[in-house]
Amino acid sequence: MTEENNNLVLEVKHVSAGYKRGGFFGYGQKYKEVIHDVDFVVHYGEILGLVGESGTGKSTLAKTILGLMEPTKGEIVHYTKRPQMIFQDFHSSLNPAYSAWWSVEEPLRIFGKYDAEERERRVREMLTRVGLQEEFFASKPDELSGGQKQRVNIAAALIRRPRFIIADEPVSALDVTIQAQILKLLKQLRNELDLSYLFISHDLNVVYQLCDRVLVMKDGRIVEQGTVEEVYNNPKEEYTRNLLEASK
Amino acid sequence: MKYIFKRIGLLLITMILVSFLTFLAFEIVSGDPVRNMLGTDASPAQIEALRQELGLDKPFLSRYVSWLLGFFSGDLGRSFSYKQPVWELISSKLVITLALSLISFALIILVSIPLGVFSYQWVGGPLDGVRTAFNQLCMAVPPFFTGILLSWTFGVILKVFTPGDFPGFAKDPGGSFVHLFFAAICLSIPRIAMTVRMMRSTIVDEMNKAYVRTAISRGNNRWSVLTRHVLKNSLVLVVTFLGQTLAELVAASIVVEQVLGIPGLGRFLVASISHRDYPVVQAIVVILAFWVVLAGTISDIVNRRIDPRLRLGGEDE
Repeated sequence: MTEENNNLVLEVKHVSAGYKRGGFFGYGQKYKEVIHDVDFVVHYGEILGLVGESGTGKSTLAKTILGLMEPTKGEIVHYTKRPQMIFQDFHSSLNPAYSAWWSVEEPLRIFGKYDAEERERRVREMLTRVGLQEEFFASKPDELSGGQKQRVNIAAALIRRPRFIIADEPVSALDVTIQAQILKLLKQLRNELDLSYLFISHDLNVVYQLCDRVLVMKDGRIVEQGTVEEVYNNPKEEYTRNLLEASK
Repeated sequence: MKYIFKRIGLLLITMILVSFLTFLAFEIVSGDPVRNMLGTDASPAQIEALRQELGLDKPFLSRYVSWLLGFFSGDLGRSFSYKQPVWELISSKLVITLALSLISFALIILVSIPLGVFSYQWVGGPLDGVRTAFNQLCMAVPPFFTGILLSWTFGVILKVFTPGDFPGFAKDPGGSFVHLFFAAICLSIPRIAMTVRMMRSTIVDEMNKAYVRTAISRGNNRWSVLTRHVLKNSLVLVVTFLGQTLAELVAASIVVEQVLGIPGLGRFLVASISHRDYPVVQAIVVILAFWVVLAGTISDIVNRRIDPRLRLGGEDE
């Protein structure tokens, strides 16, 4: 960590990434670039929104940042350890065969540094912190509501105390009332646990409620960025204006 | 508890239905056990006397009901051709067929589950096509052909066992086991191939699910995702398939018993059908039906242990 960068949690430097498709017996695969020359930083303690229509490469960017995909060009620099991700599909993100407790405890078991007693203490503390009632600790995903499942996912993401979270449309599959609860929880967790977020959403209203700064993505490129007020009150790009128009 | 009663009820209904259909089949099909036993020069009086002795002069339904009552009181009747109680005739053969099926089943489980996991690890590798072709070949090869191949190689040339001369468990347990083991190989090869293929495709499906991606993002590697997350969810389908396999094995063993000269239930069944030895056929068919339903029940119970979601279906344990 250099002196000038110590208020950053993430630097994405001119990153491009994409998928390999097709091919026969491993030959003749075609490469399709999905994100092109993306360049931005996330500051310590901020919630950075990433907006854009579906299919613009937001999730690809998230996976690339997290290392689930390799960038083909550019560089990603993390200034925090163990960044984690919260996914949109809260239901299928949880293994249906295991309980909420099991899913939250798993990262600690893999980490292997804590004994059973310490793990239990931490899991209990985290599940309580995300607001899951004790009676649901042993429940399987099929026995939980959507909001409860997303709370479990958040707890599993936070259990190893990351400082940086990528939340990929974490509330878009939830009812509006539950959405508000989860957004409130995310904000509260940021303050309590010193988190920074990259918050991905196609819903500009949600981004407006939660974020400090916002990036606008179109066809795999960042077309506009600035503070939420700047972008919302004075959009420079036609695309951003259309997005704002559409969400009103 | 409710579940167990339901299963026992299902078992009883299946067995009654199957026994009735077998009875009916012999009523319709041509061939007369009495003529079969007495030969062509028997006088009509002799035929009539034997018919009465065997109870064949009574109407169809009353014969069936008396058989059914006998069955539930533990009396399987007497064989027409051997003049012995059916149970005495088939019990030793039942043990052999059961042993053959269980050895095959053990082979299938022990080989196909690890192989299925490895075959997933090989997905997309350079030799994947070759392996798929080999798998297809194994699936296509009929047990009687493998039986001939194995009895020639290990029986005639290497003399590990003597095809057609099954020593019997009482005389030579080791030799009997070796004999059955080769028969089990023939029976299990196509089914191992099927199970491996099925596991592979189930694991591929399961690996594409969102919880796998999440599990990787939470720090799992490919192997721990496979063993801790995916295998458990893939096994439900595989266990169901293995349950069907367990049921089919007994039927499939008929052919292999013929080829390798094993005096099991299958061979006896074929002989009894051609002699029109109804009581024997009837008993064997009902035992097979029992076996099929039992295999289904076992796989169901195992699945309920693996996957608690199946228990949520409104039934208590």
